[in-house]
Amino acid sequence: MIAVENLGKTYTNADVATAVLKDINFRIAKNEYVAIMGTSGTGKSTLMNILGCLDKPTAGSYRLDDTDVNSLDDDALSHLRNHKIGFVFQQFHLLERATAARNVLLPLIYAAEYPEDADQRARQALSAVGLVERMQYKPNALSGGQQQRVAIARALINDPEIILADEPTGNLDRRSGLGIMAIFRKLHRQGRTIVLVTHDQAVAEHARRIIVLKDGRIDEDRVVENQRDPEVELDAFTEKEDR
Amino acid sequence: MKIRRIIGQGVQSLNANRLRSFFMMAGTIVGIAALTTIMALGRGIEKKVMQQVETFGPRAMMLIAGGGKDMPPPDTTVTTLTVDDARAIQKQVSGIEIVSPMAWRFRINVKRDVHQYQAVLWGVEPSWHAAWNWYAAEGEGITNEDVATLARVCVIGQTIKRELFGDEDAVGKRIYVNKKRLVVKGVLSKKGSSPMGTDFDNRMIVPITTAMRRLLNVDYVGAVRIITRDAGQMPRQIKEIRALMHARHHITPPQEDDFRIVSPVAIAKMARGTSRTLSILLIALVGLSLIVGGVVLMNILLISVGERQKEIGLRRAVGATRRDILSQFLTESLAVTFIGMLIGSGLGVAIILFLKKATRIPVMISWESFALSLAFALLVGTFFGVQPARRAASLDPVETLR
Repeated sequence: MIAVENLGKTYTNADVATAVLKDINFRIAKNEYVAIMGTSGTGKSTLMNILGCLDKPTAGSYRLDDTDVNSLDDDALSHLRNHKIGFVFQQFHLLERATAARNVLLPLIYAAEYPEDADQRARQALSAVGLVERMQYKPNALSGGQQQRVAIARALINDPEIILADEPTGNLDRRSGLGIMAIFRKLHRQGRTIVLVTHDQAVAEHARRIIVLKDGRIDEDRVVENQRDPEVELDAFTEKEDR
Repeated sequence: MKIRRIIGQGVQSLNANRLRSFFMMAGTIVGIAALTTIMALGRGIEKKVMQQVETFGPRAMMLIAGGGKDMPPPDTTVTTLTVDDARAIQKQVSGIEIVSPMAWRFRINVKRDVHQYQAVLWGVEPSWHAAWNWYAAEGEGITNEDVATLARVCVIGQTIKRELFGDEDAVGKRIYVNKKRLVVKGVLSKKGSSPMGTDFDNRMIVPITTAMRRLLNVDYVGAVRIITRDAGQMPRQIKEIRALMHARHHITPPQEDDFRIVSPVAIAKMARGTSRTLSILLIALVGLSLIVGGVVLMNILLISVGERQKEIGLRRAVGATRRDILSQFLTESLAVTFIGMLIGSGLGVAIILFLKKATRIPVMISWESFALSLAFALLVGTFFGVQPARRAASLDPVETLR
């Protein structure tokens, strides 16, 4: 579904060229759960922006579902982001003054057709992240973990093929983070493709496959042998607290 | 429709930041309120002008003895205007319906028994009634026979009747003017007062011959009222009358005229006075305040674009095109000026209603001012909203989401 070939990204600033990504090659099939890992400055955010069609590579090709993303103009990229990709950000990026429901509905504003059952879909998306009873809350009335769950519901509203999550647990405590990872695991089981970007080995091990970036190149591309189960860890966490 | 959803986003954003929205629309509110008020004042003045023209008579001209440009109190010491002048005009200027000379005296004592009143006396020909469209409500008006026989008769105005006769019948009674006895042969219909407040019903008319020879002992008249058949002919007729008068009174132009011609155009000009210049000045001020309001609006929008970078980035990430972002910010700008216009118009109407109730300043609300306000508001909203909207649309989502 995702095919990246010889992909490179070079920023030119004041005539100084900085290569952030070099010769990246990988494929991600439907219903994979991949973590892109690397320390900060290794280009993983740039790679995510390219995969999310927010940015374009300066070399190589990126094909998403047989579409050559490089050849698309800005409007076509917006359209692609709108119906194929769901973003989850470290800082949640919710509209502060809008309710959870309105935040979740935001991608539909920019869809070609506003579905008649939009409200129903928002309800479903929020219930998928366990927040249906908080639909009318504004972000400042929600905890960090709840806000991130609203953001995930927003990513789900358009039924995208890929969910791209950039350090989704970076701003959360361990327990809330595990809650988020549990949701991703559930979404993966439901057949969605999930690409997780993180610097944290422990977070990356929730995925099935880890692509490690180092200095803009792929250093390692491996299958996770002992995939972590957030549900089990959450239970353990709760037991520990109960004691 | 996608655009409707995007407009909705803009409106929600304004609603969520009410204080900011209020500051954005303050300039528009003030500007539009001022515009509405000024236009209502202009309309009111124009209406008053039309009333005065109507009172004067849209087809009427007055040839008045004595020079000068505007309409100072009639100069009764000028003795050069004669009945013959009136006859000459009737004969030599075409398209004239009525020429009616009048001898007048502005303060004259009228007595009946112990009652006394200071009236305005006009010596008139029978055509006077048609020339002023003013007839006797009781009894009869002045006739040709009255003029031919220097009849000792008069027709009095409603005020004089009330002052001298109270509720009694006046027709057939005697009154004294300059110790000369006159019989009241009629009472004029009520005319009321002019927009300026002059009482029209304090006058009495007598045959012109009676006035000139028996009462005032003069061989000149004060004015000639001229009614044209066609108001469009008036400029030509005024020119011809002026030339005729120059010839008859042996005046060569650098020399000052001993007469003046008052037309509806002159009346309107006088009634407008300085109001036109003033309103042009005020409209310029309104324009200025709208521009200042627009600049404030633009700056707040620019600040807001800066503050909302993450929001814009997010919208782009979930699928908004540059055009969608542009539309949203332009919507916000236009909605601000539109709502500002509605509030400003409301405020303007409130001011107008207050002026109407509390003062005698003439005001009139018009639809044109609403239309003009709307046009101005949308113009300001577009003009000053485009740049911030463009800036918002041009933001790079990668940069803003960092």
